[in-house]
Amino acid sequence: MYLAAEQENVLRIHWDEFTFGLIAFLIILAVVYKMWPRLTKALDERADQIEGGIARAQKAEAEAEEIRQQYREKLEEAHREYAQELEKAKEQRAAIIAEAREEAQVEARRIVDAAHAQIEADRQQAVAQLRHEIGALSTELASRIVGEVLSDSAAQNRVIDRFLEELEQSESTQQAEVR
Amino acid sequence: MGADVSVVAASEPGCHIFNDFGCGFEAPTVSLFFPTPWLDFGLPGTSGLNKYYLVAVVALIIAAAFWYFTTRRSKVVPGRGQSMAEMLVGFLRDQVTRTTMGKEGDKFLPLMVTLFLFIFCMNIMGLIPGLQLPVTSNLAFPAVLALFIFVLWNVVGIRRHGVGAHFKARLVPGGVPGWILPVVVPIEALSNFVIRPATHMIRLFATMFAGHLLLALFAAAGFYMFNPLSPMGAGFGALSVGYSAIALVGFLVFTAFELFIMAVQAYVFVLLSSIYLGEAMEGAH
Repeated sequence: MYLAAEQENVLRIHWDEFTFGLIAFLIILAVVYKMWPRLTKALDERADQIEGGIARAQKAEAEAEEIRQQYREKLEEAHREYAQELEKAKEQRAAIIAEAREEAQVEARRIVDAAHAQIEADRQQAVAQLRHEIGALSTELASRIVGEVLSDSAAQNRVIDRFLEELEQSESTQQAEVR
Repeated sequence: MGADVSVVAASEPGCHIFNDFGCGFEAPTVSLFFPTPWLDFGLPGTSGLNKYYLVAVVALIIAAAFWYFTTRRSKVVPGRGQSMAEMLVGFLRDQVTRTTMGKEGDKFLPLMVTLFLFIFCMNIMGLIPGLQLPVTSNLAFPAVLALFIFVLWNVVGIRRHGVGAHFKARLVPGGVPGWILPVVVPIEALSNFVIRPATHMIRLFATMFAGHLLLALFAAAGFYMFNPLSPMGAGFGALSVGYSAIALVGFLVFTAFELFIMAVQAYVFVLLSSIYLGEAMEGAH
């Protein structure tokens, strides 16, 4: 732009220097562009890895949270089952006790009833035997006293019955007197 | 330091403060930026093969090698070099392209990385001992980059919106009443198509130029003032060493500051490029 004759003009632009500067600039530009993909590739890979790492961490965290949730649920369920079992066991215990008690009562009643029946039967038998013996005794006594054999069994029975009735009546009157 | 000093001192060999033959300090001139060509091409408008070529080649090698070796074995788990490259890319993406062009700007990210690397390496050449000449202090080099961006700016706008819409958006601002357009359009044309690329290149050039001149001044002054064996007496000799020490401190402070400026200017150039391209993509507003 300026002639070489203007030696000391600081605003000179010499063509040769300009061209040389352009060549130097283009060389550096070429180097930068040539190497650029390597750098961006590394940067992209790093970004990928960081993002991947973050994603992995999030996934792991979610999994851990899920597992923890499962454990918590299982634990709660176990607690609930335990409580249920306990409740059931208590109920069973109560039921067993009630059943045993009922059985025992039934058994006791049965024994008591049997004893009653036995006693009644024994009494009946004793009464019957007593009546028979008293009859025989009183018949013999009467026949001895009367001197007469009451052969007629019907008459005999009548006599005995009457005797007994009188006996009972006298007993009752005695009792009434006692009273 | 040595190169600048030798350049300046070469004009007045042995000239120091408190001398007895009456030579004065000569500040470094813009001749610093016109190194004698080793090989003159003999063509009009050329500089010949000079120190700028050498320094630019070094900058080119450093920039390309940095990128090549840091990204050559890019892995998911980055090494030290790859981390640096990623930091650079991440910084330019978050601070430059994403803020100016949005996610679409990612396709220009390699270009922005190239621009930043190349400009920063060219700038930093001003601090490398033995070279000490920021390549960007020669307007030709910023001009390459600024014109590249200017062309790309037009290409992006035309491809995105078509020729008419692109130039209309650049020349006719929205919401301006019709009668004022004859004034506004030439101003917009000058502003967008001449001044903007010019300022884009000159901003970088001028800061590097001035910064380098300042450092050269400190170095030359320090060298000039260092005269412990002054013929005017030991007291003046000690005083000259004190002056020289001040100049050295100034040189070191400004070197650190210059390093900061070099990075900032590279960033600013990239940011402006990104803003221009974003504007071209956006179309009329």
